[in-house]
Amino acid sequence: MSKSDIHKSNFNKIFYPKSIAIIGANNVEGTVPYDIVANILKSNYKGIVYPVSPREKSILNIKAYKYVIDIEEPVDLAIVVFPSSVCNLVFEQMGQKGIKTAIIISAGFKEVGGIGIEREKQIKEIADKYGISFIGPNCLGVINTDPSISLNASFARNMPDEGNIGFLSQSGALCTAVLDYAQSKNIGFSKFISFGNKADISEIDLLYYLADDPKTKVILIYLEEISEGKALMACAKDIISKTGKPILVIKSGRTNEGAAAAASHTGSLAGSDEICNAAFEQAGIIRCNDIMEMFDIAVAFAYQPIPENNRVAIITNAGGPGVLTTDALINDGQQLAAFSDETTTIFRKELPKTANIKNPVDVIGDARADRYNIAVTESLKDDNVDAVFVILTPQSMTEIETIAQEIVDVSKNSSKPIYTSFMGAVDVNEGINILEKNNIPNFMLPESMSKAFASVFKFGQLLANNGAFQNINKTKKNSKKANNILTEALKDGKIFLTEDKTTELLSCYDLPVLESYVANSAVEAVGFAENIGYPIVLKILSDDIVHKFDVKGVLLDLKSKDEVAHGFSSIIENVAKLAPDAKIKGILVRKMIPEGEEVILGIKRDNSFGPVIMYGLGGIFVEVFRDINFRVAPLSPSDIESMVLETKSSKLLLGARGRNLKDVKSLYSCLAKLSELAVDLPQIKELDINPLILLDENKGCYIADAKIML
Amino acid sequence: METIEVNERVKKSIANVLKIGTESIADDANFIFDLGADSLQSVLLVASFEEEFDIELDEDKALNVQSVSDAVEFIQEYLD
Repeated sequence: MSKSDIHKSNFNKIFYPKSIAIIGANNVEGTVPYDIVANILKSNYKGIVYPVSPREKSILNIKAYKYVIDIEEPVDLAIVVFPSSVCNLVFEQMGQKGIKTAIIISAGFKEVGGIGIEREKQIKEIADKYGISFIGPNCLGVINTDPSISLNASFARNMPDEGNIGFLSQSGALCTAVLDYAQSKNIGFSKFISFGNKADISEIDLLYYLADDPKTKVILIYLEEISEGKALMACAKDIISKTGKPILVIKSGRTNEGAAAAASHTGSLAGSDEICNAAFEQAGIIRCNDIMEMFDIAVAFAYQPIPENNRVAIITNAGGPGVLTTDALINDGQQLAAFSDETTTIFRKELPKTANIKNPVDVIGDARADRYNIAVTESLKDDNVDAVFVILTPQSMTEIETIAQEIVDVSKNSSKPIYTSFMGAVDVNEGINILEKNNIPNFMLPESMSKAFASVFKFGQLLANNGAFQNINKTKKNSKKANNILTEALKDGKIFLTEDKTTELLSCYDLPVLESYVANSAVEAVGFAENIGYPIVLKILSDDIVHKFDVKGVLLDLKSKDEVAHGFSSIIENVAKLAPDAKIKGILVRKMIPEGEEVILGIKRDNSFGPVIMYGLGGIFVEVFRDINFRVAPLSPSDIESMVLETKSSKLLLGARGRNLKDVKSLYSCLAKLSELAVDLPQIKELDINPLILLDENKGCYIADAKIML
Repeated sequence: METIEVNERVKKSIANVLKIGTESIADDANFIFDLGADSLQSVLLVASFEEEFDIELDEDKALNVQSVSDAVEFIQEYLD
């Protein structure tokens, strides 16, 4: 039985335990051991509680046991609050008692280093010996709002309301802040889990648990580090495709230290945060920038249906916010609905003459509940409308609570989503309460309403076509030969491949390299040029030179024998001057590639996500424009298409301003081959193809320059 | 000093700090797990041993001592 299977079989005892032992409990109010017992009792937990304390006879009027093995009845879950130094003794007794699940609240493990690491290892070993699954250590605990169990096994101040949002957090302290914020917004939770050091049960195990949990509709997760990026991506794809549950993530640590030290363009451009974004995008995970944004999107998912299309009707009693919302909606790639003639006729008849009956519908500042009712009801009925945004600003005559109640009532008879933005704070508060308590999401700002809608719609589209999760096509290749090239280079202590070896390796994957020849004299270079045909490119070949342009080691567009002969000599002179220590192996002679669009392709290896592919606008200014995109390999056809088309410069390839269409199909093919190469050859640390020259439609593409770092 | 005497005086110190009878302190008892000492009491135990035996203990090492038998062995090193 795998560890994950053991956890799966144990999860019910963690979240629905019939009995709980709190090991290390005490009678000192305001301490974690005491508050855990108090919170369990206060939450009206439906099972039996056994405090375990070496010195206390009772805690909060419940009989205490000296050791967990003294409890005669079976115990489903142990909550460990003893200091880390004795958790190994606790786990041994738990094993002897036959307890299969635990939550270790205590800190003082891996997070403190030194002896803490050893202690964490020790408890893991004991857990493995007895088949125990545990959450933590160093966590806040677990909350299950399901009324059938009603369990607050944490030291959070309050038990949240019941809801359909499952929340996972690596940070314990953040959990309490989130709970407090959620309470102010009337947001309930199904499960609330702080998983701390994730020494045993990981976020992936918990994601699968929430995916199977019928009480959870939306999954939120706060992560500080991603140790198994590939596994997280696979898990998210699996959950989304099987359950349709959205996964919203806040991943902290957006800095990119280390990227600057990279040797290639790809290395310097592909920071960990960009890679994380790409991986989330590919896996269908919705990344949020902050807690507020996360809950804005979460309630949109939790309270309202996913729209079939993105044509939105905006109903407002104020022109300004209506325009702001329209701007936000269009900027977020959504559409303003065009009302049917029938709807327009009704609006003309029922709304005042001064009202704007076109979208955004302005029911005018003095609007009472009746006008809102007509506008919302008729918009929802209209086949040209997929969703309705209701905006309200509090005028003296605005019937805020009545309008809120009308929206709630109307929404009950509609399968289309309604979002609201009751703008303000004090006057609108009671109206917002009515909305939120009745599952109508309310947003402080129209912009956040639009953003939430865009996220929900995008996710709906993903579910509708399952496009992000296509199979990967295999390409023609000779990976054995490529491996041999790399093995030999590594054996010789090389840190990058020379150009001739790079060309040989890329051709093993059928990537479009031009044949080149090594000349050791000007006469030899001219001989090769005469055979290949003009124009010609000359390039220095040396193990000691990575950036050939920097040492004036490249000459382009040489059109005659004389130019080639002279070029050969000037490259040798330049290199002798600018890189006097470099050992020159010769000069490469190659045909000049015709003019085309310059793009960059690259590989970087990420510790967590593995090989990452980069695509973007190429040339020497790639770092300046940063018009680039990343995807984690292997790439599916839709990954390839989206990573190209999402760049601004993609329009250049598609015939912008009268340009010729470029051979995008050959570019897609190169990316597919590069993806396969990246997966097959882990010896490659970084790879740059810069530029790849993309010719006109059906004319293919050529690699003009490439570097491979080992 | 004989081990038996060190053992008795260690138990006496523990009993004073934790306010329990010496008879309830087993030779292999763990201060936290068996006797219920909290973090403050763990510090007080070190101070109490120093006073009882008139010695100065390395505080970091002393705080890692977790049981009666470990404490006896640790203190005896200082006395020898």
